[in-house]
Amino acid sequence: MSERLPPVAGEWIDRSRRIAFHFENAPFSGYAGDTVSSALAAAGVRALGRSFKYHRLRGVLSMANHDINALMQWGARLNLRADVTPLQDGMVLASVNTRGGLRDDRMAWLDKLSVFLPVGFYYKAFHTPKAWFPRWEKLIRATSGLGEVKFDAPRIKTPKRYAFTDVLIIGAGPSGLSAALAAARAGLKTVVVDENPCAGGSLVYQRGGDEQTFRTCAELTNAAKENANIEILLATEASGYYADHWVALVDADRMIKMRARAVIVASGAFEQPAVFRNNDLPGVMLASAAQRLIYRYAVKPMRRAVVLAANQDGYRAALDLHAHGIEIAALVDLRGGEQSELAVAVSQAGIALRTRYCIVEAIANAGKDGLAAALIAPLDESGEPMLARAERMACDGIVMSVGWAPALNLLYQAGMKVDFDDHIQQFVPSHLPEGVFAAGRVNGIYTLDARLKDGTRAGLEAARFLGAASVEQARAVARQEASPSHPYPIFAHPKGKNFVDFDEDLQLRDFFDAAQEGFDNIELLKRYTTVGMGPSQGKHSNMNAIRILARIKGKPIDQIGTTTARPFFHPVALSHLAGRSFQPERVTPLHARHEQANAKFMQAGQWLRPEYYAVPGMSKEDAVRAEVLAVRRSLGIIDVGTLGKLEVYGPDAAQFLERVYTGRFANMKVGATRYCLMCDESGVMIDDGVVARLAEQQFYFTTTTTGSATVYRELTRLNAIWRLNVGIVNLTGHYAALNLAGPQARALLAPLADIDVSEAAFAYLGAREGSVAGMPARLMRVGFVGELGYEIHVPAQYGATLWDVLLKEGARYDIKPFGVEAQRLLRLEKAHVIIGQDSDGLTTPFEAASGFAVKMDKPFFIGQRSLRIIQGKPLRQTLVAFTLTDGLHGAMPKECHLVIHDGHIAGRVTSIAYSESVGKVIGLAFVAPERAQTGTRFGIRADGGVMVNATIVKPPFYDPEGLRQKMSIEAVRA
Amino acid sequence: MSEPLRVSPLHEAFSALRPRWGRHNGMRVPVTVAEQVDEQKYITSIALTDLSCLGRFGLKGPAAENWLREQSIPVPPGVNQWLQIGQCSLIARLATSEFFIEDGTGSDNFAFDIRHKLGCGLPGVTPVLRQDAKIAMAGPVAHEVCAQTCSVNFAALNLDERPLVMTTMIGVSVLVIPGLWNGKPLFQIWCDPTFSPYLWKHLLEIAQELGGGAVGIAALFPNFFQRG
Repeated sequence: MSERLPPVAGEWIDRSRRIAFHFENAPFSGYAGDTVSSALAAAGVRALGRSFKYHRLRGVLSMANHDINALMQWGARLNLRADVTPLQDGMVLASVNTRGGLRDDRMAWLDKLSVFLPVGFYYKAFHTPKAWFPRWEKLIRATSGLGEVKFDAPRIKTPKRYAFTDVLIIGAGPSGLSAALAAARAGLKTVVVDENPCAGGSLVYQRGGDEQTFRTCAELTNAAKENANIEILLATEASGYYADHWVALVDADRMIKMRARAVIVASGAFEQPAVFRNNDLPGVMLASAAQRLIYRYAVKPMRRAVVLAANQDGYRAALDLHAHGIEIAALVDLRGGEQSELAVAVSQAGIALRTRYCIVEAIANAGKDGLAAALIAPLDESGEPMLARAERMACDGIVMSVGWAPALNLLYQAGMKVDFDDHIQQFVPSHLPEGVFAAGRVNGIYTLDARLKDGTRAGLEAARFLGAASVEQARAVARQEASPSHPYPIFAHPKGKNFVDFDEDLQLRDFFDAAQEGFDNIELLKRYTTVGMGPSQGKHSNMNAIRILARIKGKPIDQIGTTTARPFFHPVALSHLAGRSFQPERVTPLHARHEQANAKFMQAGQWLRPEYYAVPGMSKEDAVRAEVLAVRRSLGIIDVGTLGKLEVYGPDAAQFLERVYTGRFANMKVGATRYCLMCDESGVMIDDGVVARLAEQQFYFTTTTTGSATVYRELTRLNAIWRLNVGIVNLTGHYAALNLAGPQARALLAPLADIDVSEAAFAYLGAREGSVAGMPARLMRVGFVGELGYEIHVPAQYGATLWDVLLKEGARYDIKPFGVEAQRLLRLEKAHVIIGQDSDGLTTPFEAASGFAVKMDKPFFIGQRSLRIIQGKPLRQTLVAFTLTDGLHGAMPKECHLVIHDGHIAGRVTSIAYSESVGKVIGLAFVAPERAQTGTRFGIRADGGVMVNATIVKPPFYDPEGLRQKMSIEAVRA
Repeated sequence: MSEPLRVSPLHEAFSALRPRWGRHNGMRVPVTVAEQVDEQKYITSIALTDLSCLGRFGLKGPAAENWLREQSIPVPPGVNQWLQIGQCSLIARLATSEFFIEDGTGSDNFAFDIRHKLGCGLPGVTPVLRQDAKIAMAGPVAHEVCAQTCSVNFAALNLDERPLVMTTMIGVSVLVIPGLWNGKPLFQIWCDPTFSPYLWKHLLEIAQELGGGAVGIAALFPNFFQRG
């Protein structure tokens, strides 16, 4: 049966556009502008979801995303909040958290077991007996959870953008809009944001049967829309406040990071439920929810209502219901009555009034999916219901209007301090951070006239804050006399089911039990009961929880305090947080050449590096082996452009390097290179590379691939302290670099270079500047891979051309590009340490066979003091070279496999590989120093617990005399 | 031996667009992609092109400012400001004693000449190799691309003060000079060349969503190829 009302002035629906959808396998239709809940309500559907714990049927409560009674799934989109999710054509919706559907949920029996699920159930269940932990875990995982994650859901790329404004106003209600007009008229660029699809806030639906309210709404909204300084962002949530007036705004398609010079929070208040037995039955709703259904969506929320009131808004709600043909069985006022014109209007409307009455219980209909009646009773002098005088009042809806909680969440995040105003029974701001202003209900201002004035005041104050001196001094607006909130609209019942938190199915009794168990601090109470920890984040439950705890402890609310409000205000979809998934990625100037050569890439920090070059019909292992052999036998070329490339120049350049690196550099000759090792203050190895002295006051040096930015930043920081006369330049991306390695390296390079590359003129560890194939180049004689090698650095834009020339000219030497995997093996054969692989966050040079690079007799270097202390103590571990004793039979140990001695962990493998050149499996491992002698055997526990025997050998594994890095092919052949 | 070819860090990105190539400073440059796309349409929303070919170099050191003055080169008065040199070359002040000089799209090899004069450097003045990628982004919705990639409010800058902004775009350090192109927003963006394919890819993706795309240099700077 349709519950759609005749057209209502200002309704949000477009009756010319029908929208078809399915809910729980049944077809429905609504109008464009409907939400899912409003369309279902118009179709007479009351039960929209099941509760989280007890699987109780639930219906509309707030119609405002302040509860999760109506959570639904549409395909891959889960946990849609039906109250605020716009209806779309073709939606196929189902309630979450059911087995067998909403009506026939097989988990509904949990409601009968509620007595066995006390507060703190999870904690208690997992605590003792411990042996039951896995069983509980399995059971709870199987039964709990909202919605179903579809792992085949498409990736949605949601843009983020930055935006800027003078004044950001959160809330397009009467306070927000009047604030916007005041700020805009002072010449400020003003953005108003509101989560609803239309502006006007409560003016749209809290009319009290008076259409003048709606006309005020239209006038205000139009004035704001017509003001060129005002931009209104609707259907946009202010999700979180961050430092310096940075507010995250989320709409359906994107996230906006709005930076404002001033922020006015006019976010209104959350209506709070009364607590009585069965207050969660479908048909029991907040007055504002009923009014939203009527005025936004032209839906009759019920046919015969009992209105529970404790403020003027309850009277307005009764008048709104009456004006739209809803029979009012009674207006039940928790107070002694209302003295305003509203009371007269209610009386004139013929609405029966019961003052100092409460609702004791909502009574379910036969189908348990709605209401049959409300049980009301008078209150005695202490405020307790006189159950003996309870009377049953038939109705299919209960409307609650007993109080409000200000939507202070963003203000808390901004650093606001609050006081509790006993008179209006509300927390109000006592101190606001600079540039942050509050207006309207968050400020404790409730009447329409006062809210308009308070908004104007806030707008003017923001304008003055931003330097609009000509703006008049704003006057403070007084709060109303009548309290909008009842101090304790909460009623115990011997049979319970009087819910405080609808998300978490928390009943009144749970709070008393928690307090009795010692959790009587608001933060502890929150964690133990989980009040406010559900998806609504306490919007409808925190205030009542505070009132209950205050009553239990016999203390004023000010002394109870509040819990911490953190972002986000409403949950934000992960797709919005992920955005476009920007992940900065670096490629060298040779990247395209690697792609053409069929490189398989690996990530090295932000860099993409060729791991190896795939060869059709060849396994990865064979391809790597071929690359290694090419270097050993003839010629290989590797892109080392990812190395950090820094330059230090100036009169103090040598002294600077002496301080930051462990080695000695002041005595280096121009044209020489030297290995450099960097430690942190605690003496831990953090980076290494090669320093080349290009001129007396100019050093060019490399860092590890992942270390360049960090090292540059650290050097810059250090020199800001030391103030040495040096300049530091990070040239990492501006030079391409490649390493030409192998016995034929000199033969290839000699005719291309304009410098003498003979052993006599350009010896091992030398550095030269010249040109190669007409390109300006810096060359270094290096031996990382243990062969004759030249590292050639050219301006990045020449990188690809140099690569092409070397490959073309090197063809006669069977030149072969090699990747990181081959390089690792080649350097392992030389037992060269890779920082980060053969060291960790605690490794010192003395442990990692790098003591040769540490000159402790220098006056100072970073980490020296710690290393002196470490030197005086026994080593913790020692890096040794090993081979597998029995060759490779069965499981191959891997990096990070453990070294075992006498059944205990005694170290770990850092590098391991099979070496064709050595004919063995070789590796590096940390072992106990007392067992680090050459020839010592140790065990490695490989995959599956298989023990593999290894023997410590003297490094390096290959070319122990280091002759090959100086030899030409002729010498090798000889 | 012929002059070695310089290759733009965005060469591959443009190759995919099959442009008509030209040559500038020993580098192949995309003159136009008009045979593949409607460049004029892009210009009405947002167009991106690669200006990495322009000559540029940096210099830093305590004596750098004096040396520039000795060469009769105007020096921006404040850090993060730039000045035009001659027809369209520019000098930017990146720090108190750090400068950046670049040829314009209509100028001769000014940067090269200055670099040549400095040689390997002088006491207190050190040349700095600049192989930056340079992207020019122009059109009515260029601000929107910046808004989606950068936290700086470029719209609030006073262009008459010739501001230069050092910031990050989608995680990449960039140097940006905002300006105008035919009365529409123009952003000149420099970045480390190794990050430039990543930056270009994402800027282009956003530009394409906004109805724009990549264009050849001639579409934005027709004079560039007329000076021979």
